[in-house]
Amino acid sequence: MRKVPMIKKIFLFLIAGVSLLLLIAGVAGVLLRGGEKARESLSALRLEATLRITGKGAMQAYVDAAKKEASDRARAEKKTMSELREAVSKAEQDALASMSFDDVDISMIDAAPVTRAIDSLIQARMAYVNEEAAAQQAYLAQLTPDPMESSPQEPLPDELGEGMIEDIQAQPADLTKKLEGFQPTAEMLRLQAEVDDRYAGLTQALSLVYPNLSGDVFAMFKPAITSLVYMYGDTYESAYDRMLTSGGGPGLSGLDALIARVIRNGDDLIYLAVSLVIVCMVVLYNKPLIKKLGPPRLIIGSFFVLLCLISLLFDMNLQALLSNTLVRVGMNGVLVLAMVPAIKCGISLNLGLPIGVIAGLLGGLLCIEYRLTGWVGFAFSIAVGSAIAALFGYLYGLLLNRLKGSEMAVTTYVGYSFVSLMCIAWLVLPFQSLELRWPMGGGLRNSLSTSTSFLRLLDNFLAFNVLGMKVPTGLLLFMGLCCYLVWLFFRSKTGSAMQAAGSNPRFAQAAGINVDRMRIIGTVLSTVLGAVGIIVYNQSFGFIQLYNAPRAMGFIAASAVLIGGASTSKAAISNVLIGSFLFFGVLTLGMPVANTLLPQSMISETIRILISNGIILYALTKSGGGTRG
Amino acid sequence: MGDWNVKTFLRNNAVTLMFVLLCVVFTAYSGMSPAYVAFELISRIARNGFIVLALIIPIVAGMGINFAISIGAMAAQIGLLWVLEWRITGITGLVVAAGITVPLATLFGFLAGKLLNKMKGQEMIGSMILGFFANGVYQLLFLFIFGNVIPLNTPGLVIKGSTGVANTMNLSGPAQLLYALDGLLRVRFELPGSSPAASGGTAGQNTFILPLLPTFYVLAGLAAAAALSMYLKKRVSLTKFVVIMSAAVLAVVAVQFPAVQSVFSMLSLPVATFAVIAALCLLNVVLLRTRLGQQLRAVGQNRTVANASGINVDRTRIIAIIISTVLAGFGQLIFLQNIGNVLTYGAHEQVGLYAGAAILVGGASIARATNSQALLGCVLFHLLFIVAPPAANTLFGDPGIGEYFRVFVSYGVIALALVLHVWKGAKAKKVIRAAKGAQGI
Repeated sequence: MRKVPMIKKIFLFLIAGVSLLLLIAGVAGVLLRGGEKARESLSALRLEATLRITGKGAMQAYVDAAKKEASDRARAEKKTMSELREAVSKAEQDALASMSFDDVDISMIDAAPVTRAIDSLIQARMAYVNEEAAAQQAYLAQLTPDPMESSPQEPLPDELGEGMIEDIQAQPADLTKKLEGFQPTAEMLRLQAEVDDRYAGLTQALSLVYPNLSGDVFAMFKPAITSLVYMYGDTYESAYDRMLTSGGGPGLSGLDALIARVIRNGDDLIYLAVSLVIVCMVVLYNKPLIKKLGPPRLIIGSFFVLLCLISLLFDMNLQALLSNTLVRVGMNGVLVLAMVPAIKCGISLNLGLPIGVIAGLLGGLLCIEYRLTGWVGFAFSIAVGSAIAALFGYLYGLLLNRLKGSEMAVTTYVGYSFVSLMCIAWLVLPFQSLELRWPMGGGLRNSLSTSTSFLRLLDNFLAFNVLGMKVPTGLLLFMGLCCYLVWLFFRSKTGSAMQAAGSNPRFAQAAGINVDRMRIIGTVLSTVLGAVGIIVYNQSFGFIQLYNAPRAMGFIAASAVLIGGASTSKAAISNVLIGSFLFFGVLTLGMPVANTLLPQSMISETIRILISNGIILYALTKSGGGTRG
Repeated sequence: MGDWNVKTFLRNNAVTLMFVLLCVVFTAYSGMSPAYVAFELISRIARNGFIVLALIIPIVAGMGINFAISIGAMAAQIGLLWVLEWRITGITGLVVAAGITVPLATLFGFLAGKLLNKMKGQEMIGSMILGFFANGVYQLLFLFIFGNVIPLNTPGLVIKGSTGVANTMNLSGPAQLLYALDGLLRVRFELPGSSPAASGGTAGQNTFILPLLPTFYVLAGLAAAAALSMYLKKRVSLTKFVVIMSAAVLAVVAVQFPAVQSVFSMLSLPVATFAVIAALCLLNVVLLRTRLGQQLRAVGQNRTVANASGINVDRTRIIAIIISTVLAGFGQLIFLQNIGNVLTYGAHEQVGLYAGAAILVGGASIARATNSQALLGCVLFHLLFIVAPPAANTLFGDPGIGEYFRVFVSYGVIALALVLHVWKGAKAKKVIRAAKGAQGI
């Protein structure tokens, strides 16, 4: 057992104590949500909010009356327009001053009848809302069998690839559109009448409080108040938030307010407690953790946990975000995997991955050109892409064999110049399909939809929902299959020879292994995986992106595998899995969280630049140097 | 030069020769008038020359092309931001910006040097990634610190409703930083047989008009006299003397033709800028002759030997990067005062790439570079930039191809130079090994 310093001990005890307190409070809060106390506090808030809304109306009515009186009097005295205006505004100010809104002291009013009226309104409203939801559900169910209606409405991701996050928010608008033809049922109308009836009861109770309110004003407040008291799928949290935004805050005071707040934020308190426990653990075990994981993984892992917690604190849909992460991991996984054979065969990080990517793109383009669809198209793209990639990879490997020792700088620029060369090629290649070409002028489009070929084929294969998360089974299975094949390859005779050639070329040469041949095989494998990877990426992303889009692919894949714990000379399949999850998890969670914390900012993009390049720099500093001084 | 032959010459200058050929072909097909090409070229050399020269010291120190000079450019842009905020105008503003750039670039260069010392042998990819990383830090600074944490008051620097510094910082207009250096002293030429007004010359402020022919005679005479005195003092070889003399004579003869004269019709030489560039060339030469210069060279040739002979290798390398970063900052200031507005989030991004490509085009390698290679590279590379789009339009009917072509050339030339360099190194090793084998070692 290591000795823990005194200060650290005190710090740990403090944190542990705080987290225990938070945990107890949080659990109590969550448990109390269905209880009597919760109902009481909500009812007090509701009363306050209702009175506030109507109180505002009452004041407005009073002021209006004063204004009207002033203007009538001025008109009777035949004053000029400007004098009249002055008189009216003076009357308004007087009225406002004489009857400040806060003067309506709610504790002085006999609230019991109002509370009773609100309770009965809630009952009616609840029945109505539930009936409405059921009826709409039935309506939608009867709509969906029409396949022509729903299938072309696939939400289209935008250029930057953040589309998957957008489409969560796009759904409500979609729903309203579909519900356009919806007619209320007879049962709904009956329940609505009941609601109206109860509302009339409430107005009676309220008019005792505010005698100067007319029927018109009550009619005006009807939608506001009925939707205030109950909404579909209401929980304690949503009701509490709604009451607070409607001005119900002062309804509770002192201890009651605190208890209500604890009940409302119970889950957040639990999350905080958990995160404090994690902090404790990290502080206590930081040395072994750093040794085991290395600082980058520890930092990025904690960042990932932090993002999860923040998204929970802001009541974001963590399940949706996590299932997006899974999709991202699946769609980029094969590209990340492409780094493994490259690192193992001794050419270090394959920053020339765009070469493989372009081969894959060519496969995808040919698939669209020949109008192949579904699994056939997907298999065709992979086959053609791999074949082209194998050719490119072979030539690329020949080049790399002449450049032993400084591959990375060269591969980067070879990759870059190949991408720009292909930019010219995209302009002149003789593709015919109008799906690919601009209708006017020459050249292929910037991004081509895969909706006619193999859109989300893998994503939707055997996909299922669990705990509110959509799991893209096919995508993950495919990635798993690729990982398994690569793993299997490195267990084979060629594979082990390649590893030997990569880790110690001279020794391998002496042992009779053809190092150059092994390097070529590794490069070809990496390039082919790049081609397969981009097709998987495209089928999930929904678009094939040409021109400068492939340029960054090598860096993204390299950062991911390095975050997973690989170095420039060592890599394993586990690095791919861990790295993909952490890197793409941080990217997927980072954007919505950043947008909540700092709206309209580019900070998530900045963070991506920092993480992605920072990890490569870190790997480079570990790659040697220094000793050769 | 006993073993000089065509084959080795071709091999050693493959990149440059290829570029000369490309430039000739593209200029022929571009359909642009020589006067316009010359005009564009001169202004491009004036604004890009300095930053290309900033690459020489790290190459001499054996660190390859310092793609992290974009960090120096970022320091310069920070300086410009504050000059704009304090509303210091004209050449004073530029000097103050340079004054801010020096400490910032020194600090950044120090940090970059420290980092690059940890990745010896991988400096080029390292400095490239470092440039990307620094861009992230720069964005953090300009999006979230300036204009938010540190308020900016000058209108136009911050746009309401968006975070951070505006996308462009305007140097023209009230800032008066446009042509702050270029405009100090300009020279135009008066063609024989035409009045200054007819040659399109509006003799603006600080602009001098010189008659073309006498200027040429004087310059050629000066060059010849200098060569002669150098030769008599035995500072230059006979071949070089003959070459310079014949070049002077050739220039004097050529300038008699109206076609050649017309090339100078649009020129407006920013003399002050060229003087600064010349000063940097001189600095490079002088610096490499000092003790520090010797150390830089020793480290560049062989770190182990340098270390054994008592040179602090790491320190020397850091100094090289600091010098390069500071100079790059000045270079970016010269570039921006000519352009007239700063793309806040983009102006620094391609600096390393274009400068690196230019110096390689001039025949430098990642282990050896001189002033003349940098300047020649600058001329060729930017000539291609000018003529590629119109030439591609004539040849392929699509100016877009020219755009992509010049990007391809920038990356391709770096890739090619790297490949050739590693190749040569491998071959040299093989020759040594073969020689050793022959001796039976």
